[in-house]
Amino acid sequence: MIFTSLEFFIFLPLTLLVFALVGARWRCAWLLVASWVFYGAGHPVYLVYLGSVTIVALVLGWGVERAAGGRRVALLTVGIVGLAGSLIAFKYFDFAAGEFEKLITATLPGRSVSVPRLGITSPAGYSFIAFSALSYLIDIYRRSVSGEQRAVNVALYLAFFPKLLAGPIERAPAFFSQLSNRFSCGSTDIEPALQLIAWGLFKKVVIADNLAPLVDRNFAIAAFAAPLELLSSVYFFAFQIYCDFSGYTDIAIGVALLFGVRLMDNFRRPYLSVSTAEFWGERWHISLAHWFRDYLYIPLGGSRAGPLRHYFNVMLVFLVSGLWHAGLGYGVGWSFLIWGALNGTYQWIGLATRGLWRRLGEGIPAVRDSTWLTILRTLLTFHLIAFAWIFFRAKSIGDALTVIRKIAVNLTEFPALIFRYPFTAEHAMGASLIALLLAVEVLDQRRSIAQRLAAAPVPVRWAIYYLVIFGLLILGRWQAKEFIYMRF
Amino acid sequence: MTHQGKSAVTFIAIGLLIYAGLYLAAERLMYRNGHSNPFFKITMATRKDFEWVILGASHAMPLDFSDFNNQMQDQTGLKIINLASPGTGPLYNRFVLEAFVKEHSVRNVLYIADSFAFYSRVWNEDRFSDSKMIRTTPLTRNTTELLWHHSTSDHVDPRSLLDYLTGFSKINNRDRFQKDVWEGELQFDRVYRSSASAIKSRVSYLFPSGDREAALARYIAQFGKLLDTASTQNVRVVVIKMPVPAAFRSALPNEQAFDQALRGALAARGIDLQDFSGELDEPQFYFDTDHLNRAGVSELFARYLKALLMKPGSLPPSS
Repeated sequence: MIFTSLEFFIFLPLTLLVFALVGARWRCAWLLVASWVFYGAGHPVYLVYLGSVTIVALVLGWGVERAAGGRRVALLTVGIVGLAGSLIAFKYFDFAAGEFEKLITATLPGRSVSVPRLGITSPAGYSFIAFSALSYLIDIYRRSVSGEQRAVNVALYLAFFPKLLAGPIERAPAFFSQLSNRFSCGSTDIEPALQLIAWGLFKKVVIADNLAPLVDRNFAIAAFAAPLELLSSVYFFAFQIYCDFSGYTDIAIGVALLFGVRLMDNFRRPYLSVSTAEFWGERWHISLAHWFRDYLYIPLGGSRAGPLRHYFNVMLVFLVSGLWHAGLGYGVGWSFLIWGALNGTYQWIGLATRGLWRRLGEGIPAVRDSTWLTILRTLLTFHLIAFAWIFFRAKSIGDALTVIRKIAVNLTEFPALIFRYPFTAEHAMGASLIALLLAVEVLDQRRSIAQRLAAAPVPVRWAIYYLVIFGLLILGRWQAKEFIYMRF
Repeated sequence: MTHQGKSAVTFIAIGLLIYAGLYLAAERLMYRNGHSNPFFKITMATRKDFEWVILGASHAMPLDFSDFNNQMQDQTGLKIINLASPGTGPLYNRFVLEAFVKEHSVRNVLYIADSFAFYSRVWNEDRFSDSKMIRTTPLTRNTTELLWHHSTSDHVDPRSLLDYLTGFSKINNRDRFQKDVWEGELQFDRVYRSSASAIKSRVSYLFPSGDREAALARYIAQFGKLLDTASTQNVRVVVIKMPVPAAFRSALPNEQAFDQALRGALAARGIDLQDFSGELDEPQFYFDTDHLNRAGVSELFARYLKALLMKPGSLPPSS
């Protein structure tokens, strides 16, 4: 079931109604049942995967909690290998088998091998479930959380429907502490929750899904598309993926809040970042960035194991992140590795020039504090990220290079061409929606929109609510099927 | 009631009022831009009586492109209404016929049969849910009742009725300011250059995977219900297959099984299948892989259709 479906708009009020009617001690169980219904609707087989991960987390969590010494490490290793292995198998085995066959054919003429395929497609949101289970086991090992939780709590931690398909990747300690609060959802939480749901839906069905057709069309025929079309598609895709994913997150956080559960922030106006380090570290898919930081980067030594190791760790995290993103509906290809490497390289450059910028800032504070420099840095960061997205969105490295080459060759002609190009209503609408989004984000950056709304007179507040709601009805593309990150 | 409760009720009430206003505006826009939707044609038809109703999928639509239906009426002196719509099988066409006979009377139905429309629910039950169809269908009591009936007895998704009644697809229509013209009509005068890959992709689009044998049995039975509907209204049915280019015809899967099943269903009711699919092989008669262009329908009309429409039995007793 997806957040934009009619089924969900029936499911949510019913779930809330029963949730409000049952006693506090049954709420966990009810939410678990509702979450399983949410996940299994239309794909009952998904429950087998979710059930398997839940059993693994429960049994090994219990074992890691009670065991000591080498046995404890061994149990954790079994869990990590099992969960990460299943993730890798579902996502990459068939791709790797194909690449291996190609390699043999290319390197040993006349020889060929046939590797059997698994033929299994990873169930929706499996990465998020596996990552949550992994963090649960590691946190037990680190004694950050007890492994002797009630089975229903652990099952709900993994299955809680608002975050099930695309996160945020909530941590077990934060989640369990809220369950012990017995889901205290005050009436003051309802309006902010509904604001988040409405704005999340707007970002998804109005902005992301209206940008998608143009992006899809041009990336599908990159070799034949006009360079200006490709350029606009690159810009549009940057906002499409942001609105698709952050829209999902806003809805997830809003829905969870209706049940008295506060999920962590996942996005903080990422395209207003002034550096790629800020983008990846503090503003984009924060729960994943923190996951990689806590369970990969720091265990590898982070920044404290010497400069070379620091650079290596940074690149490794981005390469793993690139691999994780492979198969996101744009094919499982090497371009995701390039995307990861490119972002890792940005971090390297940032690290290498960090001291220089600091000294420059200290030497000329007026330049450091200049609004124009901030704008310039924001634009530069956005373009670096958008450039990397090309490898993310293109079906192959070849396609990505075609897009880049066609844009680069015609770069000098764009300023003149923009005024002569026959832009369509689709372009105009896409650009207008992006401008609206940016205006909202800039306002939100200065003072949160929620605070502004709370302070606004009722007619103004309601007028804004109606604009969003009827914007959804009039402009939304409700026929689109999925959120991009659900395919993880 | 608490202050918060009162606010919520007021907010919802204002929202519903705005929605009602939008609904009304969307319905008016639909009337302004309506053109090819069969229910729109039924609602807008000024005559009560017709000699012929044409039903079928997109292959039947060129007979109503541009002014061709008027030409046929002028040359035969018959009143003809074409209610074909793209990608619709016997279940959807029964829905159209039922709606038509609730408001009008007719002596004959010309059903243009396409095998693809009998092989998948995509062209039958699923067509009821197509927002493009719903957004161009006027809101009427008759259509509502029929849609309810099909939802409860023919496995049609009840969301279609919900969509129809709430006007959601009309409010959400991104082509709200454009005339409801099927894209094929804009190419009516075009001449097509044959392409094997275009035929291949067109055939794979028309025949999605699934249990074809079971589907054929199901939709032949649905077609039987359409014939029964006509029979109870004393309406004669003539079934034909339209010409298609040889390359397209030979790419159609399971055509023989379809012909056999269709002939069987028709023979049980004493109806002949008139198969023109082997006629007009030349590419100059088509605007795409399988649809007749202006020259094609003119030729078909002159060679066969005019005589068929004017055959005794199809005309009113006074003529």
